[in-house]
Amino acid sequence: MVLLLLRSCYAQCHTILFSPHFKSLSRTSKPFSLSLVHFSPKRIPNMSSKPSAFDRLMSGARAVAAAKKNKPPPPPSPKKRKTPDSTTPQNPNPAPSPNDVPEPPAPGTKQQELNSSSEVKKSKLVEDNGGIKKRPSSSSSSASERLAELKCKIPLLKKKAAEFDSKKVACWGEGERVPFIFLCLAFDLISNETGRIVITDIVCNALRTVMNTTPDDLLAIVYLLANRIGPAHEGLELGIGDASIIKALAEACGRTEVQIKKQYKELGDLGLVAKASRSSQSMMRKPDPLTVAKVFDTFRLIAKESGQNSQEKKKNHIKGLLVAATDCEPQYLIRLLQTKLRIGLAEQTLLAALGQAAVYAEKHSKPPSDIQSPLEEAAKIVKQVYSVLPVYDKIVPALLSDGVWNLRKTCTFTLGVPVGPMLAKPTKGVSEILSKFQNTVYTCEYKYDGERAQIHYMENGMVEIYSRNAERNTAKFPDVVAAIPRLKKDCVKSFVLDCELVAYDRDRKKILPFQTLITRARKNVVMSEIKVDVCIYAFDMLYLNGKPLIQEELKVRREHLYESFEEEPGYFQFATAITSNDIEEIQTFLEAAVNASCEGLIVKTLDRDATYEPSKRSLNWLKLKKDYMDTIGDSVDLVPIAAFHGRGKRTGVYGAFLLACYDGDKEEFQSICKIGTGFSEAMLEERSASLRSKVIPKPKPYFRYSDTLNPDVWFEPTEVWEVKAADLTISPVHRAAVGIADADKGISLRFPRLLRVREDKAPEQATSSEQELQAHEIFFCLEETSILLSVLENSSLFSENLCFIVAIFGLFSFMLKGRARNTVVVYIGM
Amino acid sequence: MLELRLVQGSLLKKLLEAIKDLVTDANFDCSATGFSLQAMDSSHVALVSLLLRSEAFEHYRCDRNISMGLNLSNMAKVLRCSGPDDIITLKADDGGDSLTFMFESPNQDKIADFEMKLMDIDSEHLGIPDTEYQAIVRMPSAEFARICKDLSGIGDTIAISVTKEGVKFSTRGDIGSANIVCRQNTSVDKPEDATIIEMEEPVTLTFALRYINSFTKATPLSNQVTLSLSSDLPVVVEYKIAEMGYIRFYLAPKIDEEELENMATSEARPNVETRPKAGPKPKSETETKPKKEAKPETEVIPVEEANSPEEVKPKEEAQTVVEVMDAE
Repeated sequence: MVLLLLRSCYAQCHTILFSPHFKSLSRTSKPFSLSLVHFSPKRIPNMSSKPSAFDRLMSGARAVAAAKKNKPPPPPSPKKRKTPDSTTPQNPNPAPSPNDVPEPPAPGTKQQELNSSSEVKKSKLVEDNGGIKKRPSSSSSSASERLAELKCKIPLLKKKAAEFDSKKVACWGEGERVPFIFLCLAFDLISNETGRIVITDIVCNALRTVMNTTPDDLLAIVYLLANRIGPAHEGLELGIGDASIIKALAEACGRTEVQIKKQYKELGDLGLVAKASRSSQSMMRKPDPLTVAKVFDTFRLIAKESGQNSQEKKKNHIKGLLVAATDCEPQYLIRLLQTKLRIGLAEQTLLAALGQAAVYAEKHSKPPSDIQSPLEEAAKIVKQVYSVLPVYDKIVPALLSDGVWNLRKTCTFTLGVPVGPMLAKPTKGVSEILSKFQNTVYTCEYKYDGERAQIHYMENGMVEIYSRNAERNTAKFPDVVAAIPRLKKDCVKSFVLDCELVAYDRDRKKILPFQTLITRARKNVVMSEIKVDVCIYAFDMLYLNGKPLIQEELKVRREHLYESFEEEPGYFQFATAITSNDIEEIQTFLEAAVNASCEGLIVKTLDRDATYEPSKRSLNWLKLKKDYMDTIGDSVDLVPIAAFHGRGKRTGVYGAFLLACYDGDKEEFQSICKIGTGFSEAMLEERSASLRSKVIPKPKPYFRYSDTLNPDVWFEPTEVWEVKAADLTISPVHRAAVGIADADKGISLRFPRLLRVREDKAPEQATSSEQELQAHEIFFCLEETSILLSVLENSSLFSENLCFIVAIFGLFSFMLKGRARNTVVVYIGM
Repeated sequence: MLELRLVQGSLLKKLLEAIKDLVTDANFDCSATGFSLQAMDSSHVALVSLLLRSEAFEHYRCDRNISMGLNLSNMAKVLRCSGPDDIITLKADDGGDSLTFMFESPNQDKIADFEMKLMDIDSEHLGIPDTEYQAIVRMPSAEFARICKDLSGIGDTIAISVTKEGVKFSTRGDIGSANIVCRQNTSVDKPEDATIIEMEEPVTLTFALRYINSFTKATPLSNQVTLSLSSDLPVVVEYKIAEMGYIRFYLAPKIDEEELENMATSEARPNVETRPKAGPKPKSETETKPKKEAKPETEVIPVEEANSPEEVKPKEEAQTVVEVMDAE
């Protein structure tokens, strides 16, 4: 009854006190600065947080809440199957029941109200002074107070790790779920820093705070910091596009998709759009503040939705999160959903921070005495363990239970969990290799142009194939899976093989280009429908019969490899290798590799510093690719004809341009590639500015491009850019030399990058599509196109300076719009 | 032990059809007073509250209060298996994890049992206080549904304004605008055709038409619909189910476009400076005053209260709610 009394008087007081302001207050979100709110409610519109109409309706209940503030919070998990009978311990009946008599106003509530606000002010003050006032943290402290508190405390995360006291930051109780806003504020803090050391400190301190309060949430927060939802090999993906997010955003704040899209264009980041989205829709009740666990669980739910209406369900999950998000939460929520966090937090930094945090939180054991700097050592351990077992679900619990010094023992290479493949550093020539590998024994292997694969064979006969990015590719290569048991020797019970899967023509015994490999179906491949065969080129062995080999030298691993498998041409071969330190020999070998349709060579140390270093681009492996060689590939001159608006960092400038070459015969510009790299920020700015004046409302009739491209703006062809590319490919999208290379496919450039702007050239002097065709080797399959009657011979040689000479003698005859044309292309390029 | 026998089984079917698109999962609460449900849609803009009083059932046995989480679209699927005149019996054991639906054909020649698994649903129960509204419009439900459907072809918001002349529904969209005015009309042959407007003050409120349209799925439940409006409060759209209970939809209003514009201009671009301030709703306390102002006084409550004793239950739960509210 007392409560009821309070409630009604509370209501009365406020009517008198604030009614003039109520309108603006209730509709806009309220200003956050605590000390001011009550007394000068001015309108500072908040984006994203919504006015809650029902709150007004609910004021009675709230008054009771205010009165109840001092009571202990309810048990952490008020659970299901509630039986709302009178057995519940606390049962204040906040809403008037039928027998209630209108209560007389009692002038107590206002008092209390003021008290509570001044209390907040006080506590804020105390914190500002660096005091350690610990609030009786509980769900009863209002979210806005908590946010205020957290906001003034969050910069503390920047403190040097050694001086940091997690108790000063945590505004939630031990064992209580970590609020999502804490993570978002930390994100904000990180995004304003550029130094890796400061960022490491912030992350480390944030993790320590979580470890000291709610270790159960550590896994979720680590995953969110890494912007992942599960280990890569589980293949769990959110699977939502911008369209779903835009829809959810529109519905969550009662705006139209058109408005959102328009703003997206202006701001270039859906996260900022979310933040700026003022809601035109009031809410019945603001949902509970988000917690890290809730967000992460919802992400996993979203990823797991599948089948009918899954997009709709995903959208509803997102909407549920968005309506509950306040302050800067929507921004980071959206970026997390897009998996574009972009705050400059690299995963390696996170791992280092995790290691350091574990040292501080260490309760289990002291660092071994022989370690000089435990922090660095711990960071190294975590990084190394993560490279061998990239599964936070295993590492984080192990860290919490057994500590960082035992991590190497508790988390080891596990069959079925792919490690990141070891990568090679690029080099420009044989001489560079010689100088880098002085006095060491090294071996050269063909670098096959296919798909890197890690094949795991379990004791029970199961085979799993993982890609370079640790995605499970088993279903994509059923032919490989079927061949494995036949290829291994009987003594082999389990293994992990590092290899390249290469498209292979078994009739002609020839390696096929990468472009052929990617024409294979990706999902649900049926054995009988496979048109492109693959051959396994094995070059490393990481695990054999229950023993990890990654700590062994390459020489040993390779011996194991050779002993464990039987070569079978066209199905399984060992990578062709020679061990030599003679420059002539290596050059001849490189030549041979290129002639055998390989990309070049990989050079590896054999018996010193030759362990397998997962996911590292190590100096112990060098690659020598024809693409990298200095003289390969002339640059080409191309004309920008269209562009795409930039997103994220490139907001306000163009993010990518569509380039075209000029076909003098047909007098048209044919799209050849999109380009987004090779620009400095200043250059991009400059180009965007100069091209902005050349924007035309619609493409010129003499532009040839594919409808699927949809650039945001088109340009008058005015500039000529010099572009360098790695290679040429057949493209269904681009239109350069269409009809020549293929009936309805054009050619495109691989990895184009801008060199400079050719001020001296007019667009019509740009490289022609015919030149494009000639200037590089061409390996498209002419026989596949029915219109073409052609003879193509293609040979390649190497000159002394490794310059790659391509000679093409071709005869193309084709029909185009009833016009017959014969072209003889003869070209020898240096 | 729970056993509810509803002779007019189609009622339950219609109820489910009315709410299943608005809410996906919800808890059904059974107590001595009746069978009820309260749930919000995923954006927390609308709230549905329904009640079937125990008297509505031929047999009503509910030994202890029980709350059953169900997926509503699945439940609708199950109910669609019942015939139009079937008698529906709901059965659940104490502590069980399923709910059984039994459909008996009127002449007892066919009996079907469907068992549905219950689920754990986190839901907050809101205590809904009774409020004196500035305007109450009672009109034929089919007419209201028709109006909403017509307007949704033009725009996506609906402005409902009640004046002395009558109630005006209007919308505006890309193709143009529409206004429909209904006048008070009590001189009709059948009472359910009447349009009655009780107004203390003129009110105008704007709502997302999408929600209102989804409310009108409850039209088959009742010939009349009641709209209760007060400025800045959620509208209540109520369909009374004869003497058996009701289904009420609460919908939070939209904010005026103009006001939004003002906010937009006064604010410029979101920049770092303003962000920290743009907090969550500050002091929940501040919000509360409006409602006091809106309602004349507490006196009114008992009046309304008298005819809805079932309300008690939700209120008990309101205690949990309370904290949440405050947490804002």
